[in-house]
Amino acid sequence: MIRLWQNVQSKRNVVLFSLTIFLLFSFNAYAAPDGKALFKANCAACHNASDKKSTGPGLMGVLDRIPTGDWKYNWVQNSSKVVASGDGYAVGRFNEYNHTVMPPFPALKKEDIDAILDYTQKGDVPKPVVTTGAPTQAANATDETNPVFLVIIILVLLIILIAVLRFTKINLRNAANEKDGLPEQPAMPFLQAARHWMHHHKRKCALIGIFIFCTLVGKGWYALKGIGVYAEEVHPNEWVGYHPSQPINFSHKIHAGDNAIQCNYCHTGVENSKTAGIPSVMVCMNCHKVIDQTVNAGSKEEIAKIYTATGWSPDMRAFTRAQQPVVWNKVNVLPDFVWFSHQQHVVVGKVNCDQCHGDVKNMVTVEQQRPLTMGWCVECHRTTPLKMEGNGYYTALHEKMKEKYKDQPITVAMAGGIECGRCHY
Amino acid sequence: MANDKKYWKGLAQHTNESQFVEKHESEFAEYIPVEEFIGNKAAMETSSTNRRDFLKFLGFSTVAATLAACETPVMKAIPYVQRPEDVIPGVANWYASSFFDGHDYASILVKTREGRPIKIEGNTLSTITMGATSARVQASLLSLYDSARISGPKMKSGNTWSDKNWSEIDREITPKLEQSKGIAILSSTIISPSTKAAIAEFSAKYKNVRHVTYDSISYSGMLKANLSSFGKAMIPTYHFDKADVIVSLGADFLANWLSPMEHAKQYSKTRKVGKDKKTMSKHFQFESILSLTGSNADERFPVKPSQLGQIALGILAGVGGNGSAPSVMKNEVAKVAAALKNANGKGLVVCGSNDAAVQLVVNEINKNIGALGTTVDWENPDFTHQGDDAAVKKLMEDMGTSIDTVIFYNTNPVYTAPKIGNFEAAMKKLSCRISFAGMLDETATLCDYVCPDHHYLESWDDHHPRKGQYSIQQPAIRPLFKTRQAQVSLLKWSGINGDYHSYIQKTWQNNLFSLQNNYGDFTAFWNNTVRDGVIELTPVIVAVVDAEKKVEKKKPVADSLATETPASTSVGMNDEISFTGGTLTLSDATSQIAAIKGGAFELVIYTKTSIGNGTQSQNPWLQEMPDPITKITWDNYIMMHPMDVKSLKLFGLLEDKDLLVRFDQMEDKLDVASITANGYTIKLPVWFQPGQARGTVGIAVGYGRKGFNPIIDATGENIYPAVGMTSSGTLSYDVYDVTIADSGDDQHVIASTQSHSTIMGRNEDILRETTLAAYAKDDRAGNERPMMQTYKGEQDVEKVNLWNDFDRPNHKWAMAIDLNSCNGCGACIVSCNAENNIPVVGKDEVHRSREMHWMRIDRYFSSNVVKEVAQAKGDLGNLEMYREMENPTFDNPKVAFQPVMCQHCNHAPCETVCPVLATNHSSEGLNQMAYNRCVGTRYCANNCPFKVRRFNWFNYTEYHRFESTNLNPAHDLMGRMVLNPDVVVRSRGVMEKCSMCAQRIQAGKLDAKKAGIRPVDRTIKMACEQSCPADAITFGDLNDIKSAVSAMEQDGRKFEMLEETGVRPSVFYLTKVWNREDENAHL
Repeated sequence: MIRLWQNVQSKRNVVLFSLTIFLLFSFNAYAAPDGKALFKANCAACHNASDKKSTGPGLMGVLDRIPTGDWKYNWVQNSSKVVASGDGYAVGRFNEYNHTVMPPFPALKKEDIDAILDYTQKGDVPKPVVTTGAPTQAANATDETNPVFLVIIILVLLIILIAVLRFTKINLRNAANEKDGLPEQPAMPFLQAARHWMHHHKRKCALIGIFIFCTLVGKGWYALKGIGVYAEEVHPNEWVGYHPSQPINFSHKIHAGDNAIQCNYCHTGVENSKTAGIPSVMVCMNCHKVIDQTVNAGSKEEIAKIYTATGWSPDMRAFTRAQQPVVWNKVNVLPDFVWFSHQQHVVVGKVNCDQCHGDVKNMVTVEQQRPLTMGWCVECHRTTPLKMEGNGYYTALHEKMKEKYKDQPITVAMAGGIECGRCHY
Repeated sequence: MANDKKYWKGLAQHTNESQFVEKHESEFAEYIPVEEFIGNKAAMETSSTNRRDFLKFLGFSTVAATLAACETPVMKAIPYVQRPEDVIPGVANWYASSFFDGHDYASILVKTREGRPIKIEGNTLSTITMGATSARVQASLLSLYDSARISGPKMKSGNTWSDKNWSEIDREITPKLEQSKGIAILSSTIISPSTKAAIAEFSAKYKNVRHVTYDSISYSGMLKANLSSFGKAMIPTYHFDKADVIVSLGADFLANWLSPMEHAKQYSKTRKVGKDKKTMSKHFQFESILSLTGSNADERFPVKPSQLGQIALGILAGVGGNGSAPSVMKNEVAKVAAALKNANGKGLVVCGSNDAAVQLVVNEINKNIGALGTTVDWENPDFTHQGDDAAVKKLMEDMGTSIDTVIFYNTNPVYTAPKIGNFEAAMKKLSCRISFAGMLDETATLCDYVCPDHHYLESWDDHHPRKGQYSIQQPAIRPLFKTRQAQVSLLKWSGINGDYHSYIQKTWQNNLFSLQNNYGDFTAFWNNTVRDGVIELTPVIVAVVDAEKKVEKKKPVADSLATETPASTSVGMNDEISFTGGTLTLSDATSQIAAIKGGAFELVIYTKTSIGNGTQSQNPWLQEMPDPITKITWDNYIMMHPMDVKSLKLFGLLEDKDLLVRFDQMEDKLDVASITANGYTIKLPVWFQPGQARGTVGIAVGYGRKGFNPIIDATGENIYPAVGMTSSGTLSYDVYDVTIADSGDDQHVIASTQSHSTIMGRNEDILRETTLAAYAKDDRAGNERPMMQTYKGEQDVEKVNLWNDFDRPNHKWAMAIDLNSCNGCGACIVSCNAENNIPVVGKDEVHRSREMHWMRIDRYFSSNVVKEVAQAKGDLGNLEMYREMENPTFDNPKVAFQPVMCQHCNHAPCETVCPVLATNHSSEGLNQMAYNRCVGTRYCANNCPFKVRRFNWFNYTEYHRFESTNLNPAHDLMGRMVLNPDVVVRSRGVMEKCSMCAQRIQAGKLDAKKAGIRPVDRTIKMACEQSCPADAITFGDLNDIKSAVSAMEQDGRKFEMLEETGVRPSVFYLTKVWNREDENAHL
């Protein structure tokens, strides 16, 4: 039931998200392409295209503030020179922004600078996105027909039908008796009648009983197999798993998918530790010091949660408050008594992240997409060829194995990869 | 635990009223009339609940419980908000640091995981300890997480303690210090230059401040003797590795005396033999108790402590000095003296006595045999023992008169001081008593203020253990409690604010930075020193002055740097030891020795290998570590020769036969005797110790603590009060006249881990020994191949095989244990405990043979009834013969140690009997144990010929029975911080055993795979191997033909335990070689 509902929600989110992205792109299509691209490539690390301060001042309306003439070109191409020349406005800004030097951009031509300033002059405030969630949700909900509900409804209807039919039958019989002048037979209580019926239809009862028993045992068996396992293969290669909501609505689709950030940019431990590690919130701040909202609805509130966690005051642009760690819900959890190492698999085994974590790049909420059971591990170890080429550790072993197994592919299991003591100690 | 609140249900529980206790102990609170109900037939028949209903209820509740258990909990993950730069979760960080508790010094590496120290290992960069650790150093880690530690400063008002914060306590203490007539800082030895500087600051601030060094195990006698002989109140460095003949007069130098880890390392070098080295040092030992060192000696002579002086004089005469022949052991003394003479300057005599007279004679012997400059190194004197008994005596006289305030730092005189001094009474005369103790120990309890110091793993410090050798003590964790480092307190009271870390840096910048020229920049110098943990700064010239001949021999300066060294360094870097004990001459010494009158029974007060001087008595790892000789845990006892028991007619034992019967029962219960020494009487159980000198008894210090927890407090009795004074004015740990009587008390239950004493004549199967002479002729001496009768005739067991051999394509792990190096100290056991999360089970469980240690060190005495003797006796039946073989020779048995862990048999008998395949074999030769598969049939333990499998009888981490005792590190939340996250904590009902540190092998392999190379030999080290101070254990890959272990496998001394069973162990041993004429010389 819960899983079903989560399913519904996740699908809804996907739809919502795709809609948002679609809107975003359609909106962007009308912006000045040249200036925006240049701004993103050169300036966005320190400047906002709005009037908000970042490392440097917000660039909206900047032309109204700065000295006129070629000053803007000189400043952009080599700001230090302008400051050194003792220009009053330049020195004032330099002091205002804590003596942060703006790096020189000699490559930017005058037209480029004009294009950028033209783009920023108007500002780039994201417009609120119209949420179209409600109809989508409704559409989704009706799409999903719940077989269990259906069965229950049919059963209830059947029981009502039987009751009505029985009532009618008794009434008819009484009416017939009345007509024949026979005494009115008192109606048997329902349970007694059922027992009476069962007494006369033993074979049918036995068949129904056996059917119910078998169904329950079957269901129970599968239910037991699912204990502690959060992922299920509903169709070949299509997995549905545990995806709890998180304290911050962090979307891997936006970060790892759309923005193509490498997994190990945040999960730094993956190549040098057993755990890939959930990144510290300060890693988020690498980008989100600057990006305090996006075009996505609710982004400002979600990003503000990072600020709360790190104690960052966006107005003062400093860490002023107490830090509050984020309590995430673990999604991919291995059983306790197994020693699993990410670096072994990623560095030595050259396994891709998605092999065990699924299509994270398209996950809005992270979902466990593989069962992470021992059987699943062992299956992979039995079928995956051992990556021995080019690794001096395996040279001698490779020779011995080639001799022993001839043309057979040498799997991880053949080199002892399914021995108990490799993972359990 | 930080929050160690105790809740009471009511006053009855608080006061422990007997009725309450009785009720509390029964399972149900109220009486339930089960018998009456079942017995009442009428009631049963009229009951409406019938059997079928019962079954229905049963079924329903089972299903309900099952369904309720199906829900899987939501797990949380809390990452760092800001990850520290050098912390990667899942990767260990190592910090170099130093251990010094006023008794033992070691340079160490601390392994931390996610900010918690979880393991201590030796620092190989140190030229003093050379990477060695001892059981006590290993276990000091657990003391960090002791929930009995004081969480903040305390003040006593009336009889109750109140918690204060630091500014409050400073406000209280400062005016008191200002008003004091005189302040004494009483501490154990301080070797920290910065601490000494801080004390100097304190002395400058207040009037009449005196720093007195008091060591509970004092070396004042040596200081006094050295001052007399060499003009320096210092202790030289000894080089056992350069000695061909080692003579020890009661010095347990491998486990307790002076610098045991260093000595063990040096000693093992001279004891190792191999293809190119067929020589060994010859070790003679004169002693009263059977010490660890004595049990390793080639020739051991049991003597009374009162005779040690005479023997020293006898040796002196024998080597051409001004001595005199002894009245006892004339032949032995002559033999030893001759050996020393023949060593040509490569002899060494050490003495464990704290009597300056005896030590002076020993100095004379060393001078006469030319040991100075070869084995006795005066160029690098040792500073780790500076206790000045005379100054302590003077302080006690002045307490209440010129001294009215005493600050106690790392010392506990109320517990350790002799009864004759009556320290408690002297303490009452003071007007202000301040303690820096981290726990409310016996002295702190009587103080007015307790300003708890950090644990050493939480604090910065520096150490100057030896001339020219400096080391840094670096914190590996933030302070767990609101404690404050003692030095910071002293500086604060001297009006100096700031942290101690920068204070040390300042001291180093001013005093030590100029002594080197490797680094031009102080920051680089400091950072490198902190990283290495140790630094050698050019030694300053030491003048060796022969006090009698008044000749000054200046040693040439090897390094030109030394000439630049300032002649006298400033405060804190002073190499002088303050000593007020005075001097004596050889003729004084001779007359003092002559005046010693031995009694009928003499007492030796000794330090145990596990507990040491008692600063760590509350440590469960040490308490549960079996004593290397007696194999007893959780107790101290009177060690006594059984014939003495007979001669005293104690416990109704009159016949030899009674003694033997009693010896059989000894692993269970002991009789209790009362002993009176120096006017102090205690009752302790009597342990029949083979090898104990007749007319002597031995008792270990460090037990009978008060105020920790009920278990520790009930463990043993304190013998410190029986310590006396020698005629040369130093503390005497030998009492020459004691009385022993039957106490009449009930027998005392003891927990011993070894229920047999001898090898029962199976030398060739279990442990093989030979003599050096035989080994020099044939490297297979004493190591004959076991043969087996087959249909093809007699064959080597190696050729007879019931099973197919298995392929080991990648690695073939193996471990070699050199019995010649192993001295039995037990550092490996504690190291294994820490590495593998082994639970502490407590005395009661050890008594039931349920200790959980994955490795043990078997200690075998020898019996004079070997099979041949038994057969010669003729009339012995089999039972009688084996009983006699089991009882060791009491007078002076040969002792042998053998570390035993899982032998990782290639044809393991445990694997074939496991019904659930929980234990099976890896392709790398390891016997692996999958705990989750284990159902606890214990067939494997039953089928193991080595008895190395341990069964988990309880869920030690949660079972309430172990909670109150607070023994198990995994039990409270604080203690759990010590657990190694790479090793699972086993639960109840599973079998466990040595995994051959599977986690370390896997980690080592992974490192190699990442680097694309084969693992480098000896980089994967087992926990036991790493901690071994004698380098007795070698682990490696037999498939790597260049590995050290492969070379050992080819050695003629190699043998496998119980080889004829054909189990093909991966652990093998190298024969023990004795440097004595006859292998059974001790018999």
